[in-house]
Amino acid sequence: MPSLKQITTKIKSVRSTRRIMGAMKLIAAVRLQKAQAALTAYRPYSDAYRDVVLNVAALSESEDHPLLRVPEEKRNLHILFFTSDRGLCGSFNSGLIRNMQRYVEEQGEIFGNIKLSFVGRRGRDYFSKIGVDTGKYYTGVSEKNSHKFSEELAAALTEEFRVGTSDEVVLAYNHFVSAISRKMTFERVLPLSGQDADDGAENSSDYIFEPEKERIIGSILPKYVQVRIERAMNESLTSEHAARMTAMENATSNADDVIAKLTLLFNKTRQAIITTELMDIVNGTEAQRKGGNE
Amino acid sequence: MAEKLRLKIITPQKLVFDGEVSELLAPGQMGEFGILPGHVPFLSTLFPGRLRFRTDGSGENTLIIHGGLADVKDDTVSILTDRSESLEEVDVAAAKKDTEALQRELDDLQDAGDSEREALDKKLRIARARVGE
Repeated sequence: MPSLKQITTKIKSVRSTRRIMGAMKLIAAVRLQKAQAALTAYRPYSDAYRDVVLNVAALSESEDHPLLRVPEEKRNLHILFFTSDRGLCGSFNSGLIRNMQRYVEEQGEIFGNIKLSFVGRRGRDYFSKIGVDTGKYYTGVSEKNSHKFSEELAAALTEEFRVGTSDEVVLAYNHFVSAISRKMTFERVLPLSGQDADDGAENSSDYIFEPEKERIIGSILPKYVQVRIERAMNESLTSEHAARMTAMENATSNADDVIAKLTLLFNKTRQAIITTELMDIVNGTEAQRKGGNE
Repeated sequence: MAEKLRLKIITPQKLVFDGEVSELLAPGQMGEFGILPGHVPFLSTLFPGRLRFRTDGSGENTLIIHGGLADVKDDTVSILTDRSESLEEVDVAAAKKDTEALQRELDDLQDAGDSEREALDKKLRIARARVGE
């Protein structure tokens, strides 16, 4: 049986860990609230943008713009993989990585070469260890700088597609569903051909473009890639905060359980010591009285 | 033919407006254009400028938009723009100074690249829209 001193030390250390986790939970909750508000605002914009772009793409020929190129062969796949920089967010990263591995295996049968680029440290740490071809790598992405990062990434990815070093570009990220639920999503951003526009484009042969279609495409297509990347960043960040909040909430309540158990053990031990001492005293006086009578 | 247009003004920060309007004037890249109910499908990129529309409730409204694009389809107009400002938010005096400074800068700009010129031009148009020129 551990001594009282040992138990008190243990309780103290669990308490301080609990305090830290409680604080992290609160921070994650505040960040989640902010990120969720930003995401809710961004979703209609990015969805509307996609509708417009897919609609235009459906009305265009592949010669109209380099980004409408239809690759003859599926050789090079470039995946942009969104994970978190830091841990302590439960199964957030492990779930992503597990799905990603399966996806890479599946696509490996179609594409000759798969390249992974990363937003977030965790995904890269894993995949660079197992020797997958890794491309660009970004850390420190937050709500504040997601716009800048997404512009950089979009420029790099579209350029690769334009010159033909990649034939398909896929974004892999956690789609935020609710504070307790998220869904891993693989979104193909390039090529645009063969993607379904949400509404039919049958009556749109009489669509009027101003300026002419080629120039419109030239200005909205690169922007579209940026918008979708920024959207994926926002989705991923919001999911991360939610995952961290849940994980810390669980950790806090686990710590409470441990503290309760240890306190019980402490009381039992203390009681046992008192009982032993009492027995000693009683025995002692008993022995004395007997001795005195004789 | 529908009597009204549905207008949606969407920015990355929020849904600025979603409601029925009877007509709309927008700063298209090829010049300002008007949209009335029953318009054929139409897609245009926009310059920064003033977007005007008429609603039943509040009469004529004006917003300053920072470029973007307008998509007209089935009597629904979607304006996608980086940012929008209402006239009340704008500091006209400051914007006036900006236009002068930007104009000078643009005049001095001789051998800069297209993207630099474009960025400056966009800023100037925003400033002008704020002043109301």
